Amino acid sequence: MRHLTLASALLTSMAVTTPAVADGHLKIVDEPLELTIHMHHKRYPAYNEDWPVEQEARRLTNIHLKNATIGSNTDNSGEAINLLLASGKLPDIIGTSRIKDVVNQYGPQGAFMPLNDLIDEHAPHLKAFFEKRPDIKSAISAADGNMYYIPYLPDGKYGRAYFIRYDWLDKLGLDVPQNVDEVKAVLEAFRDGDPNGNGLKDEVPYFARQWEELIRLVTLWDGRSSGSDTYHDFYVDGGQIRHPYAGEGYREGVKNLTEWYAEGLIDPEVFTRGSSAREYLLSEDLGGMTHDWFASTSGYNRLSSEIEGFVFKAFAPPASISGKRIEEHRRIPIKPDGWAIGGTNKHPVETIKYFDFWFSPEGRNIVNFGVEGVHWTMEDGKAIFTDAILGTGRPVNSQLYELGAQLHARGYFQDYGYEIQWSNEFALEGIALYDEGDYLIDQFLGVAFNKDEQAVYDKYWPSIRTYMLERQQAWILGTGDVEADWDDYMADLDKMGLNDVLAAMQSAYNRQYGG
Amino acid sequence: MSAVVLKDIYKRFGAVQVVHGINLDVAAHEFVVLVGPSGCGKSTTLRMIAGLEEISEGSLTIDDRAMNRVAPKDRDVAMVFQNYALYPHLNVADNIAFGLRIRRMKKDVIARSIIEVAEILGLTEYLDRRPADLSGGQRQRVAMGRAIVRHPKVFLFDEPLSNLDAKLRAQMRAEIRRLHNRLGVTSIYVTHDQVEAMTLADRIVVMNDGRIEQVGTPMDLFMNPVSTFVAGFIGSPPMNQFTGTLESDAEGASVTIGGARISLPDTVPSDPGRDVIIGIRPEYVSLAAGEASSPVAIKLDLVEPLGSEALLHAAIGEDPFIIKAETFGDVSHLSGLTEVHVPAAMVKVFDAATGRVLNRAAG
Amino acid sequence: MTDLPASSAGSATGVSEPATRATEKPMRERLVRLADHFKREWQIYVMLAPMIIWFLLFLYKPMYGLQIAFKDYSIFRGIVESPWVGWEHFETLFNNSQFLRAVKNTVIISALSLIFGFPVPIFLALMFNEILHALYRRTCQTIVYLPHFISTVIIAGIVITAFSPSAGIVNTIIGWLGIEPVYFLTKPEWFRPIFIGSGIWQEAGFSSIIFLAAIAGVNPSLYESAVVDGASRWQMMWKITIPSIMPTIIIMLIIRIGNLMEVGFELIILLYQPATYQTADVINTFIYRQGLQSGQYDLAAAAGLFNAVVAFVLVMTANSISKRVSRTSLW
Repeated sequence: MRHLTLASALLTSMAVTTPAVADGHLKIVDEPLELTIHMHHKRYPAYNEDWPVEQEARRLTNIHLKNATIGSNTDNSGEAINLLLASGKLPDIIGTSRIKDVVNQYGPQGAFMPLNDLIDEHAPHLKAFFEKRPDIKSAISAADGNMYYIPYLPDGKYGRAYFIRYDWLDKLGLDVPQNVDEVKAVLEAFRDGDPNGNGLKDEVPYFARQWEELIRLVTLWDGRSSGSDTYHDFYVDGGQIRHPYAGEGYREGVKNLTEWYAEGLIDPEVFTRGSSAREYLLSEDLGGMTHDWFASTSGYNRLSSEIEGFVFKAFAPPASISGKRIEEHRRIPIKPDGWAIGGTNKHPVETIKYFDFWFSPEGRNIVNFGVEGVHWTMEDGKAIFTDAILGTGRPVNSQLYELGAQLHARGYFQDYGYEIQWSNEFALEGIALYDEGDYLIDQFLGVAFNKDEQAVYDKYWPSIRTYMLERQQAWILGTGDVEADWDDYMADLDKMGLNDVLAAMQSAYNRQYGG
Repeated sequence: MSAVVLKDIYKRFGAVQVVHGINLDVAAHEFVVLVGPSGCGKSTTLRMIAGLEEISEGSLTIDDRAMNRVAPKDRDVAMVFQNYALYPHLNVADNIAFGLRIRRMKKDVIARSIIEVAEILGLTEYLDRRPADLSGGQRQRVAMGRAIVRHPKVFLFDEPLSNLDAKLRAQMRAEIRRLHNRLGVTSIYVTHDQVEAMTLADRIVVMNDGRIEQVGTPMDLFMNPVSTFVAGFIGSPPMNQFTGTLESDAEGASVTIGGARISLPDTVPSDPGRDVIIGIRPEYVSLAAGEASSPVAIKLDLVEPLGSEALLHAAIGEDPFIIKAETFGDVSHLSGLTEVHVPAAMVKVFDAATGRVLNRAAG
Repeated sequence: MTDLPASSAGSATGVSEPATRATEKPMRERLVRLADHFKREWQIYVMLAPMIIWFLLFLYKPMYGLQIAFKDYSIFRGIVESPWVGWEHFETLFNNSQFLRAVKNTVIISALSLIFGFPVPIFLALMFNEILHALYRRTCQTIVYLPHFISTVIIAGIVITAFSPSAGIVNTIIGWLGIEPVYFLTKPEWFRPIFIGSGIWQEAGFSSIIFLAAIAGVNPSLYESAVVDGASRWQMMWKITIPSIMPTIIIMLIIRIGNLMEVGFELIILLYQPATYQTADVINTFIYRQGLQSGQYDLAAAAGLFNAVVAFVLVMTANSISKRVSRTSLW
């Protein structure tokens, strides 16, 4: 039996290159096999066996997933997974958002199955993927060197970008700012030149939905604000783990941003304006510049029907004081979401083959686009959505969730082709602009601590982080002077154990990424 | 000089009129009891005197001073409430002193007053206690003390004894009367208990349905009720009442009840054929024949010995008839009773239609 | 019926072992009496059962989990299998200056909300009681009850808007007085007044209900008697209403003291900023950042246990003081 399935798996992997083989080549088992699954995500707090994607996967693989989700009554996946773990009985498959920390902590204790050997022996597509992306393999490995989950792997590089009111620039006779000094000049012009023409000095030159995007501007002084798509994260500098808030560029950046804030170039309410800042300031014709997501921010160009000449488009990252242009934020290639095999699963081989199915070309199309012939058709070797998806006028991603496609609590490799088909033209234009220059920088993909490292991190890091943020806001708000305070600040960080935390991270990083 | 005068007093709550024109003169030092069934307006009348209810119409004077628009505190009245209205958070001394402190009297005067009142009421050893630690009778006394201490012109009592048990009630009743004899303060006392009314009052005011039925001394009300209502309300057990038709012959006026001819006093106007109600007090039925008394055949149902007296539950024809008879220490002679005698002079005759008395005693 | 074999067994041992008899007999008698009582009054025990079961299930059983404060807790291993670590988590907490700061802030914020927030509902209730016009009174009550039914998130939004330096009503008003706008929500010195004030605004009206109920329970003849005695409305409020509802006030105060360490932390999370941590960070928000965000349940349990012990001591103290001073107590 084992040899047979192995043989058929090999067959499958060979069949990849030659499409349209006899139907049934994706079958994992001859007789239908039921596997239980816990799947929790705030958008879908249970696994729906009626999802067309599940039905299609059943047809092709003969593996039937049965819903065994615990905690479907909460939309908090963390609570749900804790309930599941505390129950002591794990289903065959566990898929949830933020699964990484869970599997890395409890996998070595036996709650989840290590996947390395299973992948090597039974999952040709996964194996091929990890051979091509060893960084991802390192990133998802636990401290004991094993992988315990298959992540959701986003595709597409770009996340946030610098956006500015091009029509305001035109009105004031300014060019798109190319460096930090020009940005300052433009913001001052926005502040003083009454670009919205209402006679009031009510323009908000730079605004942000998240105040952390104000701190992001320290990159204009060669500082860093985060190493990943999570705010305040560590970053890697030539194999060395560092924290952005303990660097000289950060100090310089904060010093200048404090001035900008005091001079009224920054939204005075940036810390409390919150998530409605973009909607409010753009629709009231007040906001001039921000740093926000490509797709959603480009969408605001619909306001041109209400505000005469409104154009809010991306511009290339301005050069820093040393002349570097970087876009610090990007889509992370790997998310902490995904799925894992329960430690008591009686069919690990079939399960890993099932996981592998979603990385096969057929499976990847299904998980990205839905059911072929219904939701998409193949044109020139590319999956193109049919009117059943694009014709409804509803957000495409929501529709796909309803089909059981693009579920982040499933381990799969996203195909950016799914998004490009319904992206705003301004977003595509901006992405093209960012593609011209190579602005993105490498991301810190996180480390998996061993027990001692974890203890050091837990003991010191939350307090250090709190302290850093307190000082940061105090400086920006002008209740402290970053220049005068800096030496004491660094000494405090040292006293609070920052070097111990960095050492723990470094040892984990070296182990994981072979530094 | 009348201390309290009510003239054509009306009380309306919205569209509902509950007191329909009351006229009453209360003399200085007099103890007047308002009595009547619940809902007759007696408490409302008292509260109007106190100033707790506005007077809808009519005039109220106390010591010749018009009081309609005077605030309660300036009427110089003190009131004792049914549930005592003691302040649970204050001890006995402070409860008594409350009214004095409100009036900002001097401390030494207050202290003296408390001691004086406590002595009068026998509360001296309880001055430090809180109401919750007192018995019902003691609380009642504290409530009295609170009224006395202010030396008001008029005491107003609103059913002050109805929360006490029967024995305590009798005892407090006597105390209140003794207190009145000693202090001589004009008092108006509301109760639904005719025994209290009889025992306490100089004069009783019987009220019914927002009107005064009769005003008089206790004995006057007992002997000469002006209506079947007063006849039924005053006296325990109440007056027996029978309906009949006036007859007249050579021997004078009479009424036939259950086949027995009952002679009526000659004060009854002769008006044969008139429908009347005759009233016979249980106390004035005699077992032996006497002059000008009518023999009546009765069916004896039950004998209730009360000691010196016994209540005989009997019937004339179908009508119940209660007789109070002396026992002389033995009830056996009563059990075989088949006939009693009704003295004509003791029979009250009321008009059946109006309920008003027809043979009102002169004077 | 099941008691019978047990009691006969008891008597058997009693006979065979005279030495233990003396101690056993009263015990046995008590059991027999209990069994008799149970047979006679079993309905009462049946009625009692749901409450006992509820207490055991939802209050006492969870207490079992408190032990994770002394363990290196792993959800997967479970409470029993997780190893003991003694006072380690408590040491970690008390060696953390931010925790000590949070304790300090918790006490200050609680004490200030008690001092400023506790009397307000009483004032409100007294004021409502003085409004004679029924419809007007009901309207006023509805208006002040309303904020209670608004969710905390909305409350935070209202507060943020009200104190906004550009469009907020507060800055608009002080602008009329010629004062420069203040970014209140980033000023540590303003956090406590704003937080406590918004708490009062949200809850004072609704909390006044219990005092209104207490006032409604005051015997009306006390007021009538006072009227006849010549008391003004003001005197009646001070000498009758307030003393009469004092037991209620004291009970509520004891309950509030018991909750002293529980600061409404959702509102804090929504209102505070790193810039205001120094006055705003309380134990619960500290735990939230420190423990739950990074899954340190054992540390969070230790902080929670500390919280509970302090609250327990406070409520015991308040209760016994009240019992001695005012003869009013919770138990």
